[in-house]
Amino acid sequence: MSETRLIEVRRNVFKKNDLLARELRARYRDAGTRVISLVSSPGSGKTAFLERTLTELRGRFRVAALVGDLATDNDAARLARTQVPVKQITTGTVCHLDAEMVQDALEEWTLSDLDFLFIENVGNLVCPSSYDLGESLRAVLMSVTEGEDKPRKYPTIFHSADVAIITKIDLADAVEFDRAAARASIEAVRPGMKVLEVSARTGAGMPEWLAEIER
Amino acid sequence: MHELSIAVSIVDAVCEELQRRGDPRLIAVHLTMGALSGVVKESLLFAYDAACEGTPLAGTQLVIEETPGEEFLVTALEIEDERDAAD
Ligand SMILES: Nc1nc2c(ncn2[C@@H]2O[C@H](COP(=O)(O)OP(=O)(O)OP(=O)(O)O)[C@@H](O)[C@H]2O)c(=O)[nH]1
Ligand SMILES: [Mg+2]
Repeated sequence: MSETRLIEVRRNVFKKNDLLARELRARYRDAGTRVISLVSSPGSGKTAFLERTLTELRGRFRVAALVGDLATDNDAARLARTQVPVKQITTGTVCHLDAEMVQDALEEWTLSDLDFLFIENVGNLVCPSSYDLGESLRAVLMSVTEGEDKPRKYPTIFHSADVAIITKIDLADAVEFDRAAARASIEAVRPGMKVLEVSARTGAGMPEWLAEIER
Repeated sequence: MHELSIAVSIVDAVCEELQRRGDPRLIAVHLTMGALSGVVKESLLFAYDAACEGTPLAGTQLVIEETPGEEFLVTALEIEDERDAAD
């Protein structure tokens, strides 16, 4: 019978993605491209918000978008109507985008031709939190219809994000959205986090969002 | 499916560590998993066996220690002790 022995390694498992994300971040910086990603649960309004954002920016800046989806290119088709370059990343069974998928998708584009690159992640409040895409800003969206306690239920994704965006604010009254409770929930997991309230339908809150990203 | 891709990352990382150490015979991988890492222990254990198949890690065990933080790391490799194996 042979004995066993422990060797200490202390190795971060997400290292491969982290390294690649770091490379991407350096590339974005050198090219002068501001990269902004959107994460949320399915249907919180990422694509609608992005359609509006792309439309408002397109006259003044060079913008493009990547969008992740398990199986369809529906969102890419919607975004392409804004007439900016759009590319779909179909992930198959994978529930998140990772840095390698983003790198591959960017192959045919010249980053220095872009002022802004938006990345819509797969609709999922869990998996994307572990995968850095090298973005300079990560926005987590939650709609007024999905419950004020989302941040407390899914703290990790809020930890990984830089700004929280409450979407579909035009529906707030209809669903008796409790603004204070939602903000308290965000504040509880991420004290001091910037919170914006927007509607892709009416355009409410868009000036504040654009001011935030054009800084 | 998230856990499967994490399990594959673990296998990749461990394969590299083993190679750097002259390919000792692996018994178990020890992992520290923070509660905020967003990973489900049971799913990961299940995915680990699948990810190990056909690799030098096949048949090895994954030992998970849960902690409160966000960390997620392979802390140690349990290997067969060469000195005894040579006996
Ligand atoms: N009233 C209202 N409806 C909205 C708003 N934004 C999105 N919606 C609706 O919400 C639904 C989902 O919106 P999407 O933009 O497809 O959401 P998504 O987050 O991109 O969804 P996935 O990509 O499938 O995760 C659609 O029916 C939209 O029309 C909004 O600001 N107000
Ligand atoms: Mg969408």
